[in-house]
Amino acid sequence: MVWLLRALAGPVLWAALFSLVYALHGTGCGLGWTDRPVLFTDLHHIAMWVAWLAGLALHVVLVLTMPVGSGRARTVTAAGAWIGLVASVFTLFPVVVTSTCF
Amino acid sequence: MLAVPLLTACNGPLSTLNPSGPVALEIARLWWAMLIGAGLITAMVMVMLILAIRRGPMLTEGNTSERRWIYGWGLGFSLSVLTVLLAFALWVGERMLARDDGAVTVQAQASQWTWRFVQPGPGGQPVMTEGVLYVPAGQPFDVAITSTDVIHSFWVPQLGGKMDAIPGHPNLHRLMADEPGVYEGQCAEFCGRGHPFMRFEVVAYDPAGPLPDFASITGPMVEPAFPEDVSGFEGTGQTEIPAQESSE
Amino acid sequence: MTDATTTLEQDDARAQPSVKAADIAANPPQRALRLHRELDEVWSDLPGWRGFFTSVNHGTIGLRFMATAFVFFAIGGVLAMLIRAQLATRNGVFLDNDLYSQIFTMHGSIMMFLFAIPLLEGLALWLLPKILGARDMAFPRLSALGYFCYLFGGTVIVLSLLFGAAPDGGWFMYVPLTDKTYSPGVNADVWLLGVTFVEISAMAAAVEITVTILRCRAANMPLTRMPLMGWYLLGTSVMMLVGFPPLILGSILLEVQRAFDWPFFDVGRGGSPMLWQHLFWLFGHPEVYIIFLPAAGALSTIIPVLSRTKILGYGALVAAVIGLVFLSFGLWVHHMFTVGIPHMALAFFSAASALVAVPTAVQIFAWIGTMWEGRVQFRLPMLYIMGFFATFVMGGLTGVMLAMVPFNWQAHDTHFVVAHLHYVLIGGFVFPMLAAVAYWMPLICGRWRVRGLGEAAFWLIFIGFHGTFFIMHLTGLVGMPRRVGVYPDNPEWEWLNLISSIFGMIQSAGFALFAFDVIMQWMFGRRSWRNPWQAPTLEWAMPLPAPSYNFASLPGPRQPDAGSILPLARGEGLLPGAPRGWRETVVVEPGTGRPQHVAVLASNTALPVATSAAIGSFFAMMLAGFYWVAPLGILATLIVAWKWGAIMGTDRDHPPADVAPGIRLPLHWQVRNTLAYTGAVALLVADATLFASLLFGVGFLAVVAPNWPAPESGIATWPMLAVSLGALAAMALGTVASRLAEQRRADPSLRVWTRLGLISTGAGLVLLGVIGVWLDDPTRHARDALRGATLGFAVVHGVIALMLALRADLDARTGRISAERRGAVPVWQLFQLFWLGTSAVSLALILVQEVL
Repeated sequence: MVWLLRALAGPVLWAALFSLVYALHGTGCGLGWTDRPVLFTDLHHIAMWVAWLAGLALHVVLVLTMPVGSGRARTVTAAGAWIGLVASVFTLFPVVVTSTCF
Repeated sequence: MLAVPLLTACNGPLSTLNPSGPVALEIARLWWAMLIGAGLITAMVMVMLILAIRRGPMLTEGNTSERRWIYGWGLGFSLSVLTVLLAFALWVGERMLARDDGAVTVQAQASQWTWRFVQPGPGGQPVMTEGVLYVPAGQPFDVAITSTDVIHSFWVPQLGGKMDAIPGHPNLHRLMADEPGVYEGQCAEFCGRGHPFMRFEVVAYDPAGPLPDFASITGPMVEPAFPEDVSGFEGTGQTEIPAQESSE
Repeated sequence: MTDATTTLEQDDARAQPSVKAADIAANPPQRALRLHRELDEVWSDLPGWRGFFTSVNHGTIGLRFMATAFVFFAIGGVLAMLIRAQLATRNGVFLDNDLYSQIFTMHGSIMMFLFAIPLLEGLALWLLPKILGARDMAFPRLSALGYFCYLFGGTVIVLSLLFGAAPDGGWFMYVPLTDKTYSPGVNADVWLLGVTFVEISAMAAAVEITVTILRCRAANMPLTRMPLMGWYLLGTSVMMLVGFPPLILGSILLEVQRAFDWPFFDVGRGGSPMLWQHLFWLFGHPEVYIIFLPAAGALSTIIPVLSRTKILGYGALVAAVIGLVFLSFGLWVHHMFTVGIPHMALAFFSAASALVAVPTAVQIFAWIGTMWEGRVQFRLPMLYIMGFFATFVMGGLTGVMLAMVPFNWQAHDTHFVVAHLHYVLIGGFVFPMLAAVAYWMPLICGRWRVRGLGEAAFWLIFIGFHGTFFIMHLTGLVGMPRRVGVYPDNPEWEWLNLISSIFGMIQSAGFALFAFDVIMQWMFGRRSWRNPWQAPTLEWAMPLPAPSYNFASLPGPRQPDAGSILPLARGEGLLPGAPRGWRETVVVEPGTGRPQHVAVLASNTALPVATSAAIGSFFAMMLAGFYWVAPLGILATLIVAWKWGAIMGTDRDHPPADVAPGIRLPLHWQVRNTLAYTGAVALLVADATLFASLLFGVGFLAVVAPNWPAPESGIATWPMLAVSLGALAAMALGTVASRLAEQRRADPSLRVWTRLGLISTGAGLVLLGVIGVWLDDPTRHARDALRGATLGFAVVHGVIALMLALRADLDARTGRISAERRGAVPVWQLFQLFWLGTSAVSLALILVQEVL
């Protein structure tokens, strides 16, 4: 049973990260974070980038640590961790390409 | 035999396949590209299926076959196609957004089951009309969309996509008509009994020529959706419609 | 990634022998006929009409669910034909606009809530115990309760059509069109109350399917060896647990707004219609995959059998299910691309909507690969599977198109979307389900089909379907919006619609022929021989048609597949016969499948139908607008619910049951981790999602809705804080008491703890009542309405905790709790803890709102 939870760790992290970045996006547009310059960009971007990159780092940790067991159990645990990583890269990469609040 | 009605339908007044503005054109191009891709993929999958049924049992070595079907086709092929498509679609979408770049702003206010518009009229004075929206051709304009009752949706298929009119949540929608002409619009979100009849027209006029005769109506003025944007209507100098702006 | 996982696959091949489950010795063979009589006596339904109201057997209930779903499918189909008749010409005078609105609303609602969901529930209820190697579902009475809620609710919804009071705001019920101002009639209430009543059956099924898959499998069948159908239905049921609560919450809030003017969705008072859209689609998109997964499970079961090979990539398919379950919760905003959300947020959901095509593609190619490896037998189910491929692939591709934001802006709410969704739902659900019916009919009725009819039905459906919907993509692209009944100014759409209408009639003829074929097979087919498809899975390890008890003895490692039919019938498997005269099945550890205890399941009873009638009386009074009488319905429900608990316990210790040589397992009364406990955990997962949706509502309105901040609160801060903390303290005391009651269950002090728990739970409820009296008028602003809703949530859970405390206290006083028997106390603990936790979060949130 525990191996199943290990398989779910990656997707769960994706769900949490996706919700967090979406919430940061909504809050940032609502509170006008785009008007607060930070470094070469603004608070809104920085907040989302930090969350995204931290999440991706955690995903890499999961990919390295979650697979256990042998046979199908190992396939599924490894796949779960990879699904999480790929989903977080793919669904959140718009934070670096699209415009924020238009 | 089918070609004539097919062409009539595609060139109809509400057809998305008959684009008359840059937004609609880009989307139509995206559609044709996706149609070709989807057609090829469907054909490919059907051929695979037919071959799979036709050929006899030939057990390939387990792992090779799983690598080919799952990792090759299932993951590799689908992920690469989707990545390319998504990047292209985001790039297309990004260029259609309404931005603070001083484009003409008009108001569209939906009610069960009619559209009221406020647009710059002679001398830049705001003029209210019902059922007809007047905009200059050849330059982008933003429609500030609101609703007084239920949810409606503003849609002029020949000019671009739709945008909902939601009470309490004003929306800004960027469109442009390449040439002067009359473009038909309709409500695209179910809004009750009169939904099928909630039509309107967008008249794009030549900004260089004389203004058309606005069939203006009187009555309480439409509330501005974005109070700061409407200021553009009131001044005299700045709202004059630029005469010779090239379409960008 | 490829390399790493490939090595894993090679490991798989090597590792398999070591994974082989521990052996369980066979029981001595007995006379199969004697076992059959003994079991049939215990498991069969009562004869005649009494059987209809008292059956709890999964075979009966599952079939009844499926048959009822097909009846509603026929009704929804007739409505579809009315729509097509109306649209065939541009000035259709056949239906007026009001009636047309009712009919398209009802078509969508019936197909979603009264056909698709119940059909998959019925399939799961009927099939799961058989394919997993159990005698029944985990909670037989819950199956029956769900069925009657579905039947009563569905009937009311359909009957409303006859009275011209059917819902007419679209199956998505967008506010403000559906609020009291714009829909003053009872129509919208029929939808909100009727669908919520029906969703009780969905929640019941979700809990039950989850628990059954995790705990009612063949002995020593690990999750990794479970038939793929188990994984697919596990994914489905978990999605239902998490997907339905947002809809249920939304419906409750909207009904409360309509009935009592609490302004959750009213922009004038701090509400927002966008909140409804988020809650609705937070359910609505996962719903599509809830419908698709069981169908995909059927495909993964049938395709390898009819290709005479094994499924390709079991592990990859399990991973695909996991991926779909999660990703499908990140797509809902793609139904809202035109509501004015910034491009970056759209891009997140656009990317997720594209990505969800990957696990789907993995499955498609795994199925094609399976057929490639094997030798395809072109029998009737295979024909429907070809229909699935030809249809669903196109539906999936148009789905990817619609996931692209700019294209969606044009295609949204046009007939292009109508075409797409029918390609996905008929392709991805109906065709596989028709294949499933054709495949499992011999097991259902014991007969073989009549030659020719099935093929004719398939071709009519297939040609009719593509003729109707393929051209509809174009109808949408040339501008025809959804939900218009007339289009006088657009003659160019007329021929497109006419073609769709003509082929629609052909399609209907096909479905009618399919129904005729099934009836013919049931009545006149020749007797089928055993395991006609030579399938490996356990549901074929039984005589045809399936007996009421499924297996005379339950399968273990020595009876792994359909080939074990004779040893199982002779009682060589586990727990042969019904020696105690009870309905019994083996309960296993979720991961490994190691047998843990024997569950004694409920027998024929009218309690489920009485319970659904009691719940129904509440909904009926709400619908009739008798709001102040409606609490009587709740009272009736509580009284019947009390009776459910009464037959759960026992007042003496029972000796363990002989399961197999050397294996004696306790009966479920004497273990802690029962099916009921797992079920309570599953239910609380759903409950927590409901609570999370409510919190989302609070956050969403505060950030997004206009007319905030809310007016100054009239609450006296310090007294309110004191009472709130007092309520929390009472809940905490109840939680501690419930824990101590279990720890001291052998001790005379048990009664002190249960009584203390009962009193403190009651005190907590009273204090919540005080808070309720002090709250600001909830009709004033959405913030106050949300606080009222939050308090209502706490009160409901307080009442449940109170019922459980009362149960525990009574059990303690009547000797039903002992050193061995814990009664309802563990479940009581769970609810106490949940009540305490959610109430603490609510209070913290309100404090934060006040401080900021």
